[in-house]
Amino acid sequence: MFFEAESEGLHYQVSVSESKTHWRVGTREGDKDWVYRDIRKEDYRYLDETISFLYKDTSYLIDVLNKGTEYTVYTRGAYRTFKVYNEEALLHESLKQGGGVGAGNNLSSGMPGKIVKIFVKVGDKLKAGDPILIMEAMKMENEMRAVGDVTVKEILVKAGENVESGAELVTFTKA
Amino acid sequence: MFKKVLIANRGEIAIRVTRTLRELGITSVAVYSDADRNGLHVMLADEAYHIGPPPSKESYLNIDKILEVAKKAGADAIHPGYGFLSESPEFARAVKAAGLTFIGPTVENILAMGDKLASRDLMKKAGVPCVPGTDGAVPDAESAIQEAKRIGYPVILKASAGGGGKGIRVVHDEKELPGSFRMCQSEGLNYFKDDRVFIERFIQNPKHIEVQVFGDTHGNVCHLYERECSMQRRHQKLIEESPSVSVPPDVREKLGAVAVQAAKSIQYVGAGTIEFIFDNKTKEFFFMEMNTRLQVEHPVTEFVTGYDLVKEQIMVAAGKPLSFKQSDVKQKGHAIELRICAEDPVNFTPNPGKIRKYRMPAGPFVRLDNCAYPGYEVPIYYDPMIAKLIVWGSTREECIQRLQRALAEYMLTGIKSNIVLHKNILVHPAFLEGNYTTQFIDQQIAGKKHRELFMFVDDDIFLISAAIEAYNNAKSRDVGDYNLASKWKRYGRLKSMRNL
Repeated sequence: MFFEAESEGLHYQVSVSESKTHWRVGTREGDKDWVYRDIRKEDYRYLDETISFLYKDTSYLIDVLNKGTEYTVYTRGAYRTFKVYNEEALLHESLKQGGGVGAGNNLSSGMPGKIVKIFVKVGDKLKAGDPILIMEAMKMENEMRAVGDVTVKEILVKAGENVESGAELVTFTKA
Repeated sequence: MFKKVLIANRGEIAIRVTRTLRELGITSVAVYSDADRNGLHVMLADEAYHIGPPPSKESYLNIDKILEVAKKAGADAIHPGYGFLSESPEFARAVKAAGLTFIGPTVENILAMGDKLASRDLMKKAGVPCVPGTDGAVPDAESAIQEAKRIGYPVILKASAGGGGKGIRVVHDEKELPGSFRMCQSEGLNYFKDDRVFIERFIQNPKHIEVQVFGDTHGNVCHLYERECSMQRRHQKLIEESPSVSVPPDVREKLGAVAVQAAKSIQYVGAGTIEFIFDNKTKEFFFMEMNTRLQVEHPVTEFVTGYDLVKEQIMVAAGKPLSFKQSDVKQKGHAIELRICAEDPVNFTPNPGKIRKYRMPAGPFVRLDNCAYPGYEVPIYYDPMIAKLIVWGSTREECIQRLQRALAEYMLTGIKSNIVLHKNILVHPAFLEGNYTTQFIDQQIAGKKHRELFMFVDDDIFLISAAIEAYNNAKSRDVGDYNLASKWKRYGRLKSMRNL
């Protein structure tokens, strides 16, 4: 089975095949050579708690979190997220979710939090670096600033309001 | 002695207090907000009461509600833990007025040390050395610029009532000053309802050294030696240890004596900590502030001295004298605490969410003060610290080796944590030598890529595991044998690959 994979700006091709006793995992980063590894199923075991993966005689406990085509692998305090997909996986996801998400050049919250103070009003012309608002997330106050020169179109939140992760806070038009 | 004690807190510290209460045969009463119904502190206490919605202001900071619950439960004392209401004179006063005992210092103690400006004046009078700075609050950005010029850059802006890393800003030049001043005032107003800001010299290459003190109602005050808390990020402590390798024996004695002198000058009662900024070159120390509560890092002192500080707090609150004299207190071996937080290990942004797998370290001389478990959702409303790993060793070297071992056993998945950051710090030469300063993280870690921190893992692991899981998922979705169904496609791909 073939997949494409992406992580941190790198692109990979991946092939996985299976025999009774092994997985054969081929990976190819960019246009480098393919590298094949035979992983004994014996060495990649699902325990109740986690996956025990013996790789090159080193013992890793790993956990893989899968959301749609995203796979986050955790081990030894390290983690890495890959988008792993092929036509079949993408089709499956699009059927499950419907359309994609449109992202404009608007200010949205990176995490759930609370709006503490808003410095701008509709119609304000901002320069890059101008403060827009202060948002509090997990006890820390963060000043959000304009990244480019913009005009404030709408303000979708009020001071004191709690916002969800990804919520649009302020929309702009180009100055 | 108390029969029933309410703990006006959450998370690991609520559990810490519950443990000592149970050991003393005292019934423990937990409180929880809507966000903490699944909190471990609720499960481990004898009784638990709901106190309101998730925001702290409406639950853990709601004095009326907490007192109402304490009465309903029939508690005779309240332990405030750290943070929240632990240093609120209004709360201590209200607890007393309700006929209950506040397990902590007197209202006068809290008032004396709660205001940074007033406390500094008080300490100056008591003969405790202080850092150069403004004599009072600075009214506006204009005068801040004047004052900073006089004191000399870099300077540090502090909200008068600030603490825990809130309301503190370092300013390197005049250009940064007005913006930072505004933020400092805003944080002071929002967190502490006080927008007064003062300015101090920012000491370069500083170490944070603090001294644990303890007073009782019989006029005894002892110190339990120092803790070094120089390893910080965002002005919040990350690693604490006792003893500090930077403090020579004669300075250690002096630190202890000055701390006792400071505490005695205000007739201090209960557990307190006097924080000093320590110049590692000159070995000078200056008073910064006194925390009139139990500290997050109290376990390192418990490990090296052998005293249960929470038990001591309860006994002192019940009117008993301290169980030790100054001459009884010895520093034995070495203890280090690592704060385990749900946050990105490189940029330190909080990363709340659901924990998937959780395996805790154990074994000889390992203590984990923890509030997480598999499936636990770290709430967004509170501090991201989920556990403290504290380890004792007969020497600092043994202690660090043991910490490395304990971290290797620690597994936490589903959210980002700073476990891997700790692993990196524990092998860093500056930490091993002990000559790190409060700027260590900024200078050695900030700007690193995640992959640099992940040096303990063969990078192959990630993609191989993701590939196997993606394969298994596809297989489970598909009706037929995938290898078979795509045989022609696979043949074509393999063929084209061979031609490459």
